[in-house]
Amino acid sequence: MADRAIKLLVIGESGVGKSSLIRRFVENKFDENHDVTIGMDFKSKVMNVDGIDYKVALWDTAGAERFRSLTPSFYRKALGAILVYDITNRDSLVKLEAWLAELDSYSDNPNIAIIVVGNKIDQERVVDREEGRKFARKHRALFIETSAKCDQFVSDVFKDVVEKIVSSEYFNNGSGAGGLDIASNRDLEESASTCYC
Amino acid sequence: MDELLSDVVPQEDLERFEKKYHHELELDGEIATETKFEYAFCLVRSRYTNDIRKGILLLEELARTHPEGRRDYIYYLAFGNARIKEYTSGLKYCTAFLDIESNDQVRSLQAHSPANLDRPRYPAAPLYGSLALPLSCAVPSSLHEVSAALWSAERSLD
Repeated sequence: MADRAIKLLVIGESGVGKSSLIRRFVENKFDENHDVTIGMDFKSKVMNVDGIDYKVALWDTAGAERFRSLTPSFYRKALGAILVYDITNRDSLVKLEAWLAELDSYSDNPNIAIIVVGNKIDQERVVDREEGRKFARKHRALFIETSAKCDQFVSDVFKDVVEKIVSSEYFNNGSGAGGLDIASNRDLEESASTCYC
Repeated sequence: MDELLSDVVPQEDLERFEKKYHHELELDGEIATETKFEYAFCLVRSRYTNDIRKGILLLEELARTHPEGRRDYIYYLAFGNARIKEYTSGLKYCTAFLDIESNDQVRSLQAHSPANLDRPRYPAAPLYGSLALPLSCAVPSSLHEVSAALWSAERSLD
C-alpha cells in the first residue's frame, strides 16, 4: 500500500480557492465563507485509476506570505503539484511564476507532475482561458479551468494529475523521487507532450 | 486530522530555525517576531513533548505581543496542545478562535479532541498540566476573553 500513496501539493496565492477545490473533491462540500488556511492542512482520498486504488494525500498550503519560508519541507516527496489561480484576478496567475520558482527550488522530484488550475469559472472572467493555457504550456504543465462552487471539472483536476503520475515511467521506479538521473530525465520530460487541452 | 497531528517536523528544519533563533539572541539580545514564530512553528510539530511545550510558551508570548499574527498563534496553540493531549487547553483556544472567525481547520481540531473533558484520561494529567502550563491552566476562563478583546481591538483599527 505504501507505494500506492501519492503526495500532491496545492499551492497558489491566498483566496484563489485551493482549500475549496480540495474540500469539493474530498467532501463534496462548498462554503461561501473564505476560511483563510493557516500554515498547512491535510486531507486524503482514495482514488481508483485503472482498477488500482491509490491513497492520494493532499497537502493544502497557506497562500499567506509569512508561511513561505516555513513550508519547504512540504515540497519534499511530492509527486504532483496543483497550481491554482483565480480567473477573476490576473495577478494570481502572474504570481504563479513565483510559486513555480518555489516548487523548482524546494521539490526533490525533477519529474513532478504539474497541473495549472484556473478556478472560479462561475464568476465573471478577467483572465482569458487562452492566457492560462499558454502559461501552462510554457511550463509543460497540464491545464484545466474549474468551479469549486458549482462542482465543475473539480474531480478532473485530481484525476488528470494522478493519471499523469501513475502512467509516468518513473512512478514504479522506487519512490518516484530520489535516486534518479536528473539530467537524462529532464530531456525525456521536455520531449513529452504534457499539455491537457 | 490524525495525519496532520502525527506529521513530524524534519530535524533539519527544527535545527535551522533553532540556530537562527539563538543566533539573533546572541547577536542582538532580542529575537524578531518572525524568527520566534518560525522556531515555535517547528517546535510544536516536534516528536518531543518538551519541544512542544517550549513552542507553546513561545506562541503564548507571541499572542500577547503581536496581535496582527494572533490567529496563527492561537491555531498553533490549539494544535500544540492537541499534540500533547492537553485537550482542555487546546479546546479553549479552538473556542476562542471560532468565536471570532470561521475556520475549517480549527473545527477539525475541535472535533478531534475528546468531548468529555470533565474526567481526565490519566489520573496525573491535571497536576502535570497545571505545573507545566501555568498560564493557560491557571486563567482558563479569562483566556478566551483576553484573546477576544484583543482580536476585536485589532479589527476595530481596520
